[in-house]
Amino acid sequence: MNFLKKIGAVISAAILTLSLAACANTENSSGASGGSESGSFRTIDEIKAEGRITIGVFSDKMPFGYVDNSGDYQGYDVYFARRIAQDLNVELELVPVEAASRVEFLQTAKVDIILANFTVTEERSRQVDFALPYMKVALGVVSPDSAVISSADELNGKTLIVVKGTTAETYFTENYPDVKLQKYDEYNEAYSALQDGRGDAFSTDNTEVLAWAMSNPGFTVGVESLGSIDAIAPAVTKGNTELLDWLNEEIKALGEEQFFHADYDATLAAVYGDTVDKDNLVVEGGEM
Amino acid sequence: MRGIEVLFLGNNMLRLLSGLWVTVRLALISIGFSLVLGSALGAVMTLKNPVVKVLTRVYLEIIRIMPQLVFLFIVFFGVTKLTGANLSGEVSAVIVFTLWGTAEVGDLVRSAFGAIPKHQFESGASLGLSKLRLYLYVIFPQALRGLLPNIINLSMRMIMTTALVSLIGVTEVLKVGKQIIDANRFDYPNAAIWVYAAIFLLYFLICFPLSLISRRLAKRRADK
Amino acid sequence: MSEHIIDINHLVKSFGDNSVINDLSLSVSKGEVVVLIGPSGCGKSTLLRCLNGLEPIQGGSVSLHGEAVEHGSAGLHKIRQKIGMVFQSYDLFPHMTVLKNVILAPVKVQKRDKAEATEAALALLDRVGLKDKADAYPSELSGGQKQRVAIVRSLIMNPDIMLLDEITAALDPEMVHEVLNVVLDLAKNGTTMMIVTHEMAFAEAVADRVVFLDGGVIVEEGAPAEFFHNPKTERAQRFLKTFTYSR
Repeated sequence: MNFLKKIGAVISAAILTLSLAACANTENSSGASGGSESGSFRTIDEIKAEGRITIGVFSDKMPFGYVDNSGDYQGYDVYFARRIAQDLNVELELVPVEAASRVEFLQTAKVDIILANFTVTEERSRQVDFALPYMKVALGVVSPDSAVISSADELNGKTLIVVKGTTAETYFTENYPDVKLQKYDEYNEAYSALQDGRGDAFSTDNTEVLAWAMSNPGFTVGVESLGSIDAIAPAVTKGNTELLDWLNEEIKALGEEQFFHADYDATLAAVYGDTVDKDNLVVEGGEM
Repeated sequence: MRGIEVLFLGNNMLRLLSGLWVTVRLALISIGFSLVLGSALGAVMTLKNPVVKVLTRVYLEIIRIMPQLVFLFIVFFGVTKLTGANLSGEVSAVIVFTLWGTAEVGDLVRSAFGAIPKHQFESGASLGLSKLRLYLYVIFPQALRGLLPNIINLSMRMIMTTALVSLIGVTEVLKVGKQIIDANRFDYPNAAIWVYAAIFLLYFLICFPLSLISRRLAKRRADK
Repeated sequence: MSEHIIDINHLVKSFGDNSVINDLSLSVSKGEVVVLIGPSGCGKSTLLRCLNGLEPIQGGSVSLHGEAVEHGSAGLHKIRQKIGMVFQSYDLFPHMTVLKNVILAPVKVQKRDKAEATEAALALLDRVGLKDKADAYPSELSGGQKQRVAIVRSLIMNPDIMLLDEITAALDPEMVHEVLNVVLDLAKNGTTMMIVTHEMAFAEAVADRVVFLDGGVIVEEGAPAEFFHNPKTERAQRFLKTFTYSR
């Protein structure tokens, strides 16, 4: 039966290859036409006609998309999703997605929009269409209240804790060769190193350190935004230009009323605090 | 004990239970289909036809080699990409678990029948039992007895494996647990252990009676 | 002793290229007990299996009361009701009690009344000394008890002939006796039987006629006293010698 096992393995491999090829195909062929294509996206008219828009959000990534103890969706992304449905005058259907399946949900048009803390990257831009950003993420530096580090230059000659493989590690290695890096495999190891005073400060994504400082009195995020800034934006199925344009207009219009500052106050303030400079995280009118 | 109160906040207990129901429902429906289709497959597999033998064997190997997660992705996203048919997450999950269950049940049925000594067939036939009666009264009851513990075992594995369906947007008990932990991670940083303990208990409450039955059946079989 | 129950005419049986029975003819009359003996591989068990249609045959014919017994034929299960067979291995159905084992065929196949079949079963079980085991499962019985139940299970069908295929070969020596006594009792009551056995003393006691097979053919046949004490052929003499010991 060994021979048959091999046949089984070969066919499994073939199925995998074929399905990968199918993914690639969809990427290439989904031009602007879209309408009649398999797994095709819905136009705004279709969404309005059905009276319902489906938006993919996280269900366990507080404070962006999560489900509260009453079983209701909450968070920065969800707040925006509700407004989109309201302005389109349609019902909102939220679909829980995972980081690993966000692109597929759009490619197969199982959702109209993804609003799941989706960082814009070059590679993803080839697979989905990103609208204007509504949030941004950069590096932050957290240090003890007794010796707050308030600029990156102050770190020269000091010891900075980083987690291996993060943007922070690369950024400081390349731009601040005089900073001594103390590297850890895990976030919790890094945080306890900071608490034990084994390093002068710790750097990683600003959203991460801000939230941590909020729940750990005695520590302050002295540097709230550093290094290259990543944009976080809504995404639609590649080629759904109409919906994309509508979203861009919506984001611009919402800028006038400072909608995302209100969103921050309603959802992020509890986690990042009121003292933070909101403009380090919030993007209004799509302008970074 | 700090953190345990998270289980009783808001609707959390009810949400965990309805997540468990999603889990159990998926497993039950899939097992139901698997039993029917798997019995047919098993019957086909007992045929001595070499072509049938090779085809069924290859099917079995494919199912066993393919990780269930990959399978879920292929059915949930791949089918939509290829045909445009938009399957829901639950339907995709039932299809995947049924394909898997059918292969496993088929193989179990085949080996259960294979394990019945040739003399059982011959002595039944010698008594003048027609083929139908021979299977009905002599072969099926014996095969079933060997089969039941294994089927229960498979059901339990299926219940555990349903945790994967959160990747295709179906919220089952483990996902509900993660949502509860995450929503309370600042207020109750120690909630995780209690939520996982509760989920463990729920799984246990479902699986323990099954494993008891299975063990009892296996024992009874060994006695006879 | 004239009515033929079984007629074997020019039977040929082979497994692939390996010929097991070569052009063998034999008849068994009503009430007769025929014992088949011979070295292992001589084809005696295969012959018995052919009589019950368990094996396809390559030539000749087997008939019961003139009705052809054919492997795979549609009416085979009807003919088999008239042929009782007990095998070497314990072949009771493990998921049924002794009583259920015995009444399954009479009730389901012969459509007999369940109460009547139960009564008949208990009477037969009593006859083989196992009435108190009626509600036991086969796993609770000794090998000898299982074989006695197997005999009862065939007997209750009131078969025209009983085929016993080395029914004591798998038994511990102390249990052989209890089973063979049952068979002797059947013989005394006029049951037609064809028996394959390695128990020579039993064969001599039970047989009306001994048939000695070797190489798929009948080498010698005759009355037991004649065959065992005065075998005519050299091959039979050599065979019987293997059962005697001297220093």
